[in-house]
Amino acid sequence: MDPVTLAVLSARFTAIVEEMGEGLLRTAYSQILNSSRDFSIAVTDGACRLVAQADHIPVHVGAMPFAAKAVVEAFGSDMKPGDVFLLNDPYHGGSHLPDLTIVLPVFDPLPLADSDPRAMPSDHPQRVRFFSVVRAHQSDIGGNTHGGYNPGASEIWQEGLRIPPIRLGENFEMRPDLVSMLALNTRINRDFRGDLAAMLGAAKLGANRLSALLEQHGGPRLMAAVDAILDLAHAHTKRIVEGWPDGKWRGEAFLDDDGHGQENIAIRATCTKQGGTLTVDLSESDDQVLGIVNSSYPNMFSAVCMAFAYLLDPEVAKNEGAFRALRVIAREGSIVWAREGAAVTLCTSHCSNEIVEAIIRAMQNCCPERAMGGWGRRFRIAITGKDARRPDRKFVWHLFHARPGAGGHAKGDGWSAAGEWHSAGGLKFGSVEMAEARFPLHFRKHEFLGGTAGAGQYRGGHGAELELVVESDGPARGNTAGDGAFHGSAGIAGGQDSAPHRYVLRQADGGERVLRTKEVGVEIQPGEVLHIRSAGGGGWGDPAKRDPELVARDQAEGLA
Amino acid sequence: MRYTIGIDVGGTFTDVVGVDAEGREYLAKAASTPHDQSEGVLQGLVNLATAIGLTLSELLETTTRIVHGTTVATNALLERRGARTAMLTTEGHRDVTAMREGLKPARYDLRLPQPAALVPRQLRLPVRERLRPDGGVEIPLDAASLDAAIATLRAQQVESVAICFLHSWAAPKHEHAAAEAVRAALPGVFVTCSADVLPQIKEFERFSTTAVNAYVGPVVSRYLTRLEARLREAGYAQPVFVILSHGGMAPIAEAARLAVGTALSGPAGGVAAALALSRRGLGEQLVTLDMGGTSTDIALIQDGAATLGRGREVGGERIALDSLDIITLGAGGGSIAHLGSGGTLEVGPQSAGARPGPACYGNGGTEPTVTDANLALGYLDAARFLGGARLLDTAAAERAIATLAARLGIDAEATALGIYRLVNARIADGVRVATVRRGVDPRGATLLAFGGAAGLHASAVARDLGMARIAVPLFAAGLSAWGMLQTELRHEIARSVVSAEAMPGDATLAALFDGLEGEARTQLAQWFQGEVVAHRAADLRYGEQVFEITVNLDGVTPDRAGLREAFHARHRALFTYDLPEEEVVLVTARAAASGLLPALPLLPAGAPRPADPIGTRRTLLETGWAELPVHAFDELGTGQKVAGPAIIESATTTVLLLAGDVARMDEGGWLSIELPKGG
Repeated sequence: MDPVTLAVLSARFTAIVEEMGEGLLRTAYSQILNSSRDFSIAVTDGACRLVAQADHIPVHVGAMPFAAKAVVEAFGSDMKPGDVFLLNDPYHGGSHLPDLTIVLPVFDPLPLADSDPRAMPSDHPQRVRFFSVVRAHQSDIGGNTHGGYNPGASEIWQEGLRIPPIRLGENFEMRPDLVSMLALNTRINRDFRGDLAAMLGAAKLGANRLSALLEQHGGPRLMAAVDAILDLAHAHTKRIVEGWPDGKWRGEAFLDDDGHGQENIAIRATCTKQGGTLTVDLSESDDQVLGIVNSSYPNMFSAVCMAFAYLLDPEVAKNEGAFRALRVIAREGSIVWAREGAAVTLCTSHCSNEIVEAIIRAMQNCCPERAMGGWGRRFRIAITGKDARRPDRKFVWHLFHARPGAGGHAKGDGWSAAGEWHSAGGLKFGSVEMAEARFPLHFRKHEFLGGTAGAGQYRGGHGAELELVVESDGPARGNTAGDGAFHGSAGIAGGQDSAPHRYVLRQADGGERVLRTKEVGVEIQPGEVLHIRSAGGGGWGDPAKRDPELVARDQAEGLA
Repeated sequence: MRYTIGIDVGGTFTDVVGVDAEGREYLAKAASTPHDQSEGVLQGLVNLATAIGLTLSELLETTTRIVHGTTVATNALLERRGARTAMLTTEGHRDVTAMREGLKPARYDLRLPQPAALVPRQLRLPVRERLRPDGGVEIPLDAASLDAAIATLRAQQVESVAICFLHSWAAPKHEHAAAEAVRAALPGVFVTCSADVLPQIKEFERFSTTAVNAYVGPVVSRYLTRLEARLREAGYAQPVFVILSHGGMAPIAEAARLAVGTALSGPAGGVAAALALSRRGLGEQLVTLDMGGTSTDIALIQDGAATLGRGREVGGERIALDSLDIITLGAGGGSIAHLGSGGTLEVGPQSAGARPGPACYGNGGTEPTVTDANLALGYLDAARFLGGARLLDTAAAERAIATLAARLGIDAEATALGIYRLVNARIADGVRVATVRRGVDPRGATLLAFGGAAGLHASAVARDLGMARIAVPLFAAGLSAWGMLQTELRHEIARSVVSAEAMPGDATLAALFDGLEGEARTQLAQWFQGEVVAHRAADLRYGEQVFEITVNLDGVTPDRAGLREAFHARHRALFTYDLPEEEVVLVTARAAASGLLPALPLLPAGAPRPADPIGTRRTLLETGWAELPVHAFDELGTGQKVAGPAIIESATTTVLLLAGDVARMDEGGWLSIELPKGG
């Protein structure tokens, strides 16, 4: 295949997933999607290999092919053009319940006579060449509590509605009775329907573009190009890994707790680098726990891919080929790979972040210039209540503001308020003006906060301070779901850890209630203030080596 | 005779194009004067008058319109040479522009350094005040905190101030009151309010765009004021227009007020020209390659249209105004070749600019540039450059190249060819970014090469990309300036709708759009008398969406049913589905008045009969030294074919045809070059 055609097609796949993502962003109903972009888009081939993924949320980078595989396992050859598949169950191709995933098979326009490993055979005369996959985090997914995260859950049935792979519809249309059943099980019916329509729209957009490519190039030629694109990514990754010294290193990270009294839960990574392969073994991590910090297998696999991707050159294409240089070992029944039935909702952030942290702590010994200080941990709060301006419906608002700082690194200080390891600057907190216009909230203060970053030759990014007045009509209720109120962001290569998060509810009676990271049903009276001080990022390198000019700059900015 | 004049200020040359009432086109060039671009503009006008055979005042007194493209704002932003800028902002929210909504570019590059903020934190000054989303006052504007901020502005000797308060899109009163206080206390300081720059909800976009406006405003304003004064002094009494980033144009006062809108003014003329040539039959799929002395601009014309974006970044700063999608590379004729840190030959991004310019200009430049290499290779004629107006010093060029060759440890010829090859590769990479990385195959498009330097590189670049066709306009060197005469006069008005309901009633809607159109027409009438066409559009969304779609309402009755139907159809077309049962919300109503300029008359290009070569020149190609025929571009007959290798040159541009290329003089005014298959 000539290199220009290959470059064009490789870019075409990326352009398709980006267009799908842009479509979803612009059409979705809920704040979590249209303001904070908590969704991911991928295209896999008929063999469920990742071909292209849009740069949205890194923690989904290795997880999307599991969804396509689960659909293939459930339906086998029983697929035809126009079928719409849906799933969310973490034990059947999903990551955690709030993430709904739509999978559309894309068929070769011509019937195929010969067998081709890159196509999925079907009862239909044509074969499946691609899957168009759209995953989006729902504002609510039923279960015990509003907002998708039930920090009190001790088994998955308390976390929300479980959807194994189902055929949601045919001819690119959803079955209305099924949609009604799903919507009835969530608290924000209107958002749920609008978001599902937007997800299908984005998936169709991808399917249309992929069909056009198949028409243009013909299936066999296009799939040969896919092979070549994946091989190129593997060669690229291998070259980089071969440049690192061989060896074996260990790293560990600790979760604060599981919400049921178990504290300092360890994730342990043993990284063995030999030649062009990196093996990450997580089997020494602690056993699975009662609470929601367990991980599903696809999410764990994806978190390891994410950590690996962070150590590579950013230009490496994120597809199946890039991850061939990575081997992942884990133990079923451990915190990173829970047995079916365990609660896992928090896993896309925790323990994903700790999996990355343990790997980076190990790899700082192998390639310190590529390792980076820890990014902050996620500490979310979802608030529900009534807005006097829109009495006809309840609202659910998810906190994305007051992001923690990013880690320092060999090239400079960390970005301030840029987020967590699992999202890496990809989650937008959205406009304060828009939030005030749409929710009964008043943002009294939202600024960088000095003194929060981990020290280092390059310090972590600053955390942020938020004073949020809740102005609901009657009391509102908040659920927290996160980690990092005990453990700050990791210092790396001689850098120091950051201060941890501190979230306080300033109550009407003058009292102050320090919020824990896994609390159900915090009552908030109208006019009460959430005072949030988020963690900074971890430092990189010996603080004694810090350039005095950088110290002076921090002082001039009032952020020392 | 009456003239219209287009002026394009590049990094090296200022191009001036005049068109008379019969369609005759004149081009003049002058060296750009970066310290004050208006000097070069005036010299260009003097040269244009000379070319036509008039004095400057005779020319300017009979000129009806001047359209100007300027890079003053762009350069100030890219080189961080804007005004010393501060921001007054709502207390408790001073980091809006630095936080960038929590987004960081390059998701997998965790070692990307965070760029310094355009307005440093110590100059983002909190003022005690607060509005609610409905425009209601939560905290009145506090005089004491405003005074304290003004004292800091004075102490810090700030030149420019962006006033950015939350919810000013709903009510600009606090911003306007603060602006008044700053102006009163600090006359001479440039003051700009976010509600006047981008009166729309979403503070990051609004504040960032406003900060850029404050940063470039004083620089642009000083320049345009000076330019206008010089033109008036020279006898010009008609309006001066500035081409804006979106390709339309505005009068000088408006361009100075909204300086951020000129951030991509310079290259916009080239895109306008490409669109005009596309309409004249050049083709629907074009890749424009505008290569000047300092930089190369690349844009894509697809299906006869240019793409507009609203989320553009220039120099890492978000500008949320409409702008053409143009990629700029730091590679041009003046790009300096040097020994890179890796021990290999590198070209650019540093440029010798207009002063000292390439070594061959004889202004004291000692470092070899792309132009020096082209001269040493025999691609340029030392005696005919700029029609002989500037004699090139071949010996100086060769000396500069020899010095570099010694450092590289190779011979001078290999060095000159290496410079040529390297700049071609960089440009080809730029075209890839504009096409391939967007999933567009460049091979189906025509490479439209213009700007003084592109003709020498187009064939090699097209070969690298597998493109089969090139077009080089006769007017290549002044095409951007010519393009400025092809744009329409446009005044746009938008108004965010505040309504308890999703959409106002039919009567209100009709009155709203009629009112906006009337305002747009009235505004335009201040600087344009002639036929006006009005367009209407609406930004609409479904109930809970937050992004609106701009829906064109030409031919649509502006009532509830009409707007809804138009929106459903557009949503289907863009996103594959619609939700007919859902409420449709009107967010912004828009109207634009376009002044249709009389079309410039078209004169068929090309001489009546074919012309023989005017001579030969010894050149070094990849295959070795060869004696190539040299043709005069403006003497070629209509339809005449020239086979490569050959040189076709005019006073302002030179085209190098490689072996296998066949050029044909098209009556539309361009050289159409077919490349050999598999080249």
